[in-house]
Amino acid sequence: MGVKRKRFGLLQTHPSVLILTRSPLTLSIPVSKALYYISWLPPPLPNPATQFSPVLIAWQNAELFTLTYGAIVRQLLTDLEEVEEVNKQLDQMGYNIGVRLVDEFLEKSNVSSCVDFKETAEVIAKVGFKMFLGVTASVSNWDSEGTTCSLILEDNPLVDFVELPDNCQGLYYCNILSGVIRGALEMVSMKTEVTWLRDMLRGDDVFELQVKLLKQVPEEYPYKDDE
Amino acid sequence: MIVCLAVVGHQNNPLYIQSFTEADDALKLHHIVHCSLDVVDERVNNPKKSGPTINEAFLGLLYPTENYKVYGYLTNTKVKFILVTTDLDVRDADVRNFFRRFHAAYVDAVTNPFHVPGKKITSKIFAERVSTMVKSFGLSPAS
Repeated sequence: MGVKRKRFGLLQTHPSVLILTRSPLTLSIPVSKALYYISWLPPPLPNPATQFSPVLIAWQNAELFTLTYGAIVRQLLTDLEEVEEVNKQLDQMGYNIGVRLVDEFLEKSNVSSCVDFKETAEVIAKVGFKMFLGVTASVSNWDSEGTTCSLILEDNPLVDFVELPDNCQGLYYCNILSGVIRGALEMVSMKTEVTWLRDMLRGDDVFELQVKLLKQVPEEYPYKDDE
Repeated sequence: MIVCLAVVGHQNNPLYIQSFTEADDALKLHHIVHCSLDVVDERVNNPKKSGPTINEAFLGLLYPTENYKVYGYLTNTKVKFILVTTDLDVRDADVRNFFRRFHAAYVDAVTNPFHVPGKKITSKIFAERVSTMVKSFGLSPAS
């Protein structure tokens, strides 16, 4: 395989997103799948080879994924200019992705219902991250009630080659991940708050996400029983 | 010993110039780099071999001055790498190897989404990698 770094290609896959790619690639399913989650285009046809890992197929496409995400963050910074706004927008985008992603995750992974929040966190870290990012996270720092934990990521494909410039120091580059987790858990009746404790782009040694369960919202039925 | 490394964009705009000597002759080195760009253009416009060239990237020794040797490397996107060294017995293979690794470091720096193509390379990681490569150049034989 060995991708030789020969030419750069340019893809304009969305009116506001211009992606600089490592090699001239034709638009393939991974890109349109990525766009599906981000801009709600109609979903692509399922392809047996891509069943298990929608965005991250082989390591060549991993670079495309990284570059796509980088282009999105750059574009948001240009459009919104405020770092806090960009953080919020990334979180919102992540939320929208998460609410759709959880169905695909539950369908592909065939995990049974989790008994408690501890198991939920383990499943997210081991199965979820593995399926969509290709890396596993570890769970630690449980508090006494079992409602808050930390997900530790040593390796994060989103941040390959990225260095934050000096004028963007408040930016949570991977904020989309916190939104994804929040959105996905909300769809399975758990209201959570997800924050970043440690960020490798700011000089820490790992990425640490704190997931705090606020409450479990039972299913609400839209109708009331008639008495 | 490498005294100066430069990355020059396709419009001959400087993207990265770093000198590695303690002496204060940075200006002289910049001048040497600037002059070598003319040699590069000449080589590009009048290729020596009329047949297909396999490795067009490495331009080889551009011109030797009294104390220095200047090597050039041209990428497909017309970005040029210029290397100024004071070693008199530098091997061709070493320089090619160095340029290959330098090219890899350059590509990693440019892949940073916050890097604007055409602007100077401000990546600290790139600077560190380059200085490591420069220190180890010529110390160990090409492996």
